[in-house]
Amino acid sequence: MTCPANPADRRPLTRRLFVLVLLGLAVSAPAEVSLPGIAQAKLEPAAKGRLLLEELNCVACHRSTDEAKAASKQAPRLSDVANRVNPGYLAPFIRDPHAVKPGTTMPAPLAGLTAAEQTSAAEEISQFLLSTQPSRFAPEAPDAVAAAQGEKLFQARGCAACHSPRDPQGRETLAATSVPLGALEGKYSFRSLVDFLRQPHISRPSLRMPDLRLPARELECIAHYLLRDTVVPGHLNYTMYRGQVWEGIGHEAVEPERAGLTADFTLANLDRIHHHLAVRFEGWINLPAAGDYTFSLKANGATLTVDGKEVVALAPKDRRGPQAIEGKATLAAGWRKLRLDYYHTGREPSLAFNLTGPGFPRGPIPSTMLSVSDRPIAPFRAPTLDPTLVARGRERFAQLGCARCHDDLGVNSPEATPLAKLTPEQGCLATTPSQGVRFDLSVEQRGWIIAALRAGPATVASPEQTLHAELARLNCLACHERRELGGIPPTRNALFTGTAPALGDQGRLPPPLSDVGAKLTPAALEAALLQGHRQRPYVDAAMPQFGEANVRRLIALFAEVDHLETVKPPTIANLQESRNAGYEMVGAKGFSCIACHDFNGQKSAGAGALDLVNLTQRLQKNWFHLYMRSPQRFHPGIIMPNYWPGGQSLRPDVLGGDTDQQIEALWRYLETGKQAKNPAGLSRQSKELRVTDVAEIARGRSSIGYRGLAVGYPGRISLAFDTEEMALRQLWKGEFANVDLGSFQPRALDTMASLPAGVPFHRLKSLEDNWPAKGKTTFGFPQNLGYQFRGYDLDAARRPTFHYEYGEVKVDDRFEDMVDAAGAAFFRRTLRLTAPAGTTPFTFRVAAGTKVSATGPQAYAADKLRVRLIASPAAILREGELLIPLTLPAGTTTLTLDYQW
Amino acid sequence: MRRLCLALAAFALPPSLPAEDLGAMWGTAAAEAKYYPVVNIPIPTTVPLRPGGLEVLPDGRLAVGTRRGDIYFVTGAFATPPKPEYHLFATGQDEIFSLAWRDGAMISTSFGEVTRISDLDGDGVADRYETLSNNWGYAEGHEFAFASKPDAEGNVWIALGLSGSYESHNLFRGWAVKVTPDGRMIPVCSGLRSPGGVAANAQGAMFVIESQGPWNGCCSLKPLKPGAFLGHPASYNWYPYTADLKAPVKPNSNSRLTVERARVAELVPPAVRFPYIKMGRSISGFRLDTTGGKFGPFSGQFFLGDYTLSIVLRATTEQVNGVWQGACYPFREGLATGLMNVEFSPQGQLVVGGFTTNTQWPVRGTEPFALQRLDWSGLTPFEVKEINIRPDGFLLTFTLPVDPAVAADPANYAVSTYTHIYQGGYGSPEVDQTEPRVLKAVPSADGLSVRLTLAKIELGHIHEFDFAKVRGRDGAPLLHTKAYYTVNEIPPK
Repeated sequence: MTCPANPADRRPLTRRLFVLVLLGLAVSAPAEVSLPGIAQAKLEPAAKGRLLLEELNCVACHRSTDEAKAASKQAPRLSDVANRVNPGYLAPFIRDPHAVKPGTTMPAPLAGLTAAEQTSAAEEISQFLLSTQPSRFAPEAPDAVAAAQGEKLFQARGCAACHSPRDPQGRETLAATSVPLGALEGKYSFRSLVDFLRQPHISRPSLRMPDLRLPARELECIAHYLLRDTVVPGHLNYTMYRGQVWEGIGHEAVEPERAGLTADFTLANLDRIHHHLAVRFEGWINLPAAGDYTFSLKANGATLTVDGKEVVALAPKDRRGPQAIEGKATLAAGWRKLRLDYYHTGREPSLAFNLTGPGFPRGPIPSTMLSVSDRPIAPFRAPTLDPTLVARGRERFAQLGCARCHDDLGVNSPEATPLAKLTPEQGCLATTPSQGVRFDLSVEQRGWIIAALRAGPATVASPEQTLHAELARLNCLACHERRELGGIPPTRNALFTGTAPALGDQGRLPPPLSDVGAKLTPAALEAALLQGHRQRPYVDAAMPQFGEANVRRLIALFAEVDHLETVKPPTIANLQESRNAGYEMVGAKGFSCIACHDFNGQKSAGAGALDLVNLTQRLQKNWFHLYMRSPQRFHPGIIMPNYWPGGQSLRPDVLGGDTDQQIEALWRYLETGKQAKNPAGLSRQSKELRVTDVAEIARGRSSIGYRGLAVGYPGRISLAFDTEEMALRQLWKGEFANVDLGSFQPRALDTMASLPAGVPFHRLKSLEDNWPAKGKTTFGFPQNLGYQFRGYDLDAARRPTFHYEYGEVKVDDRFEDMVDAAGAAFFRRTLRLTAPAGTTPFTFRVAAGTKVSATGPQAYAADKLRVRLIASPAAILREGELLIPLTLPAGTTTLTLDYQW
Repeated sequence: MRRLCLALAAFALPPSLPAEDLGAMWGTAAAEAKYYPVVNIPIPTTVPLRPGGLEVLPDGRLAVGTRRGDIYFVTGAFATPPKPEYHLFATGQDEIFSLAWRDGAMISTSFGEVTRISDLDGDGVADRYETLSNNWGYAEGHEFAFASKPDAEGNVWIALGLSGSYESHNLFRGWAVKVTPDGRMIPVCSGLRSPGGVAANAQGAMFVIESQGPWNGCCSLKPLKPGAFLGHPASYNWYPYTADLKAPVKPNSNSRLTVERARVAELVPPAVRFPYIKMGRSISGFRLDTTGGKFGPFSGQFFLGDYTLSIVLRATTEQVNGVWQGACYPFREGLATGLMNVEFSPQGQLVVGGFTTNTQWPVRGTEPFALQRLDWSGLTPFEVKEINIRPDGFLLTFTLPVDPAVAADPANYAVSTYTHIYQGGYGSPEVDQTEPRVLKAVPSADGLSVRLTLAKIELGHIHEFDFAKVRGRDGAPLLHTKAYYTVNEIPPK
């Protein structure tokens, strides 16, 4: 997850203003009730109309049967609305719901009143609602770092399957086919939104907004994202960063950690200050007078910009204490933008920041001069309640029929015409509604409802129609494909992600529901629908929980509707023989199912497809037989091959090549569940490469990178050399390595001495300069420093001499395994450097570690490793590094060093 | 008794299973064996030979580069029956998927670099491993590297798969580059996803084989036209690292290749698309038949191995309006393992080699690794030899004369067309189906070709031909009745 260097700056003010305008001047805009599940369903108009009647809770006003009441969506509970919703949101929303939240199912309740009356009525009802409970509502500043994470989660966890994804400007890109959210920063506080997401059923008991059962931290990030346009007064914004901060904010190894508001430019107000941390402070200073200002800083590293211009800059160093530095600027009076990047790289955090200017004696900038904006931000004020308005609001709430839907406030509304006695095309359904509430229905939606009213309640839906209607109601098809009903629309397909790309679409899309009633056992369906059990940990999307009342019936409906042809399982003559055959086929020497599938909690070596061990409890056996004969039939495009193409087994040697017996044998073996014997090949075998009288080489992926090269020497010592950075990285004794298909793993890990990554030679600008090493995004490194690996030659004992170039210097780098007087093996390294005349001096890093020190004349220790200079210019030490400055004459210079550990 | 149970069980499944089982084999293996028998080249248990790269040495030995990073020289591989002796020439490399012998040294392309490996002291074992280039990023899984044989200038062309085969996190992942004999690396094309082998056609144009996945509806043969963008935009990151290339505009997803070609000037469409499953699932190494007829009637055509389905396919290419396109044809199925590479022997045999793996993809062939040969028996199979486009239809060329009466009836040809959605999602269903009417079929006097006139040629579509009703002079049907022509361009009248 990458975050912009300065997340606080990313949102344009225009959208915030737009939201304010929207809230302030509710303009009536034509819209339609947005229920994408129903809109996209393949259902008869009357069936869609019935769903709309239920989703719009028409029977709350127009009494009908108890079944219709039970099936209808309950309106949001209002008893805690004072804590949940921003008081300023209520009146404009009540006045014109569709202008504030286009697509909402909330009808405009005041449609029958004059414009002036609408405004006062909305205010009165708002006052009444706020009076029902003391309000703790308070907006909070968003954490821009968490919001950036939340943006990714909003997509990955499946929120964006129903709600519209947003572009970088925050505009909803798929609003027309989404469940509307509206601008949430005017509606929720961080706390109230998190509370809602954690327990959506409390305020929305019908759970059309399901419970995603996400970890608290993920819910918080999503809330920060949805509320990232919240503006509250404050003095300064800060963003805290961690990592290799001496590289500067914006470097790939520096990650933002959190963000928020702080009072001033001190570290004291920020908790959790760790080593290797950077803080970016941003805000505005209100200067009382024009003139020359001096900014004084004391820190290990810091950059100050005023109105975008750099005034003070001290590059951070990991090898230095705090330094004092000053910068001057001539500034006009009024609001000036300040940005201070502070780098904590030394031992103790230390930041002093003082200002001197006209009429301003040297000192820290007080909070009172600082603001996060150069324009005034009105603080949030809790509403004051007027008992008269509250009383009138209560009356309106009853009289206008609000209490018919929002029936949790102990208010009663008079009844309206019962459903059966309604005249379609009149009242709420008239083209221009003259009485009652105004739903913003499209012509099509009106048509559906009228069709449903005409058809009447007597119509009996088939189980299949009922199932389809329920899937449409809950918008299941936004995530799951069902053959005859469609599924994820192409516009949203790419939003679904997963962590097992090798599985293709199966690794990222929620499983299809085609034939699911003939596929899963009722217990497995119940586990998924009611307990939220998931089989595919690699699919990022969550399986939302819609609650028992909504989904319990689906279990029976799927079973009733879905039917496949029946396979008669073969007769098993000998159960043990069958299980043995199954065991063999699952293993590496059979069909190698475990090449892709996890087994009994153990990872497959490859794709990570779902665990086979509970398969017989989840799947119906009949489906298993059909599926194994043709996986493509059920999942077109699946990467699972067919092992019985055309009904012919690819393994004629198992169970006489009989397809049915083989598939049954797999089932019988897997039926033994967690007790199943681990199939052959599940754990990797050791692949030791032994060294005899000549050296052995292995190249490829290892703990030192992808271009590692390991050499096992006949003297039973080994080394690993990174051919990408030309760096000696590991030395060990004893057994050489396990080697497997382009990778190696040193065997004697307890004897290993390690050196950090980084090139051997460099022209340091000063001794404060960091030693260069490859980062994840330093592309072209180390060729950009003049390096090029050129391979190696082998001597008679097949020991390599590495060849590489450092600019114009050609290097032959050779290690020999030797034995000292006491019989201990060590490496003698001979470096032959061939340089033209006039080569600029550079430094050779011989060793590095946590603790590097001199142990005697020409002798040094770097952690476990001891280095002796045999033929070499003098070395110097700096923290953690042993360096040899080299000034090469024209021709060849030879250095000899011994490494022992 | 047991046999009886099995026989009963065989009837238990209703016959209503879908007739065209997508994973099914062509069902032609037995008939193919008459013309192209499979000959196994035994591998002793002491040799860990998972073949990745294949080459033939000037002295007629077979060279095999392996996943373990070894290179073996094999004598006797082409004898009948094979009497192979394995000699270990070089060791200790990363996984080797491509080998080429040039100027007395082996050019070995492993995942991390191009290495020139030579035996300076003449003892038969390599002692110099010279890195020609390792200047591409290699830091994540699936970042494979496949190389061509040297072109006329001695450059090897290398296809670099995406990081994890989905994104491009490391330098030049998703690009084709060429490495000159003196070790310079020149980026050539962007837009690859998870390419397999690289090889030149008879005209010397270089092609790469691509896998199905995002922006790729199916496997395809893509021409490596310098400066081209080949379809998958993940690799746009690296344009700033080239000397002179500029990033094209990004293609739109959920579109069609023909539509995006009009928007993205650099987008070069695949020359031959291989409908998924019907014609391979993970096509890998391929070679041009330069045997001059020693391997049968298909000289000058590509032969391609498929990893997952363990089959060999044929393909032909032609240039129309300056754009490469062509057709693919079934050839041989039932090989023993997942095919990684193919190579022609001097005797005109097609050597195929490869492996299955515990760690990546499933394979139809069941041997963990194998080296096999397809020998031509000398009998000419009755096959569609080649399909070429004409302004109003196609020219079909056959290996043996057709029955003129049957061949002249347009009703005996079924042509259907379809294309793929060009999209960022994985793969694509076949869409926009049409069934153009065959208006006219005119066999040539010698019966070796038939000129088809169609009511319409669909631009950007695969044209799937069903020749099940075509008969030879002896009344026999074709060995394979299907062929698939990708129309990128229609020649002017």
